[in-house]
Amino acid sequence: MAMLLVGIGAGIGASLRYLITNFYKRKVGGVFPGATLFLNLSGAFMLGYLTSLALADPRLPLLLGTGLLGGYTTFSTYNTELLVLVRDRRWKLFLIYFITTYGGGLALAYIGLMLGR
Amino acid sequence: MWQQRLKDVLSVALFAFFGGICRYLLGAWMDSTGTIIVNIVGSFVLAFITYYATEVQDFSEWITVGVGTGFIGAFTTFSTFSMDFWKLYHQSVNYAVLYLGISMIGAFLAVIAGMMCGIAVANRGGKR
Repeated sequence: MAMLLVGIGAGIGASLRYLITNFYKRKVGGVFPGATLFLNLSGAFMLGYLTSLALADPRLPLLLGTGLLGGYTTFSTYNTELLVLVRDRRWKLFLIYFITTYGGGLALAYIGLMLGR
Repeated sequence: MWQQRLKDVLSVALFAFFGGICRYLLGAWMDSTGTIIVNIVGSFVLAFITYYATEVQDFSEWITVGVGTGFIGAFTTFSTFSMDFWKLYHQSVNYAVLYLGISMIGAFLAVIAGMMCGIAVANRGGKR
């Protein structure tokens, strides 16, 4: 049952990620991977908030946290995009992407944790 | 056009279903160490697939999108990574910093290795 909830959540989360990334590429474009940045920052915040809520039903964290937000955010695409920036010698963008993702992601997860208390 | 888009989304969702479950099982088994492994292994595989597919170019869109964006994308996670950091931080600052360092450096080295292996395997035997 837990596996099914996580799987369904991950399917929905990853679909959202795919659609948002495509939408961003069509509307904004450019070399900066802004879609993944948005997904990872918003996902880290939402998981922080969700965790702090301490929901009574244990199925909800599995479906929405581990499943949906786990599938919505991504570590592999992020690192592949970092590598593309290095390969293209876009050092400034690399640095901006590196700092905003790690710094912003950890800060927003913390803010999310605090807000729900 | 929209049929293609729909096929891709369904492929992403289906592959992500399994990617998410694999991550959950590793996390349930090894906790934050599981998240480290998932993120490093997934980063290697995504870079491998991406560069292998770029070199070989005979895969249908729905397969590369399904496996790369769906399975591997949902297998790795940034949200749990961020939460793990704060969970560890409350236990020991040193562990949290170690976790952060291993994830950052490990995943980046993994995409470099994945890219090199992907290109090498695609071009083995002079095939191009």
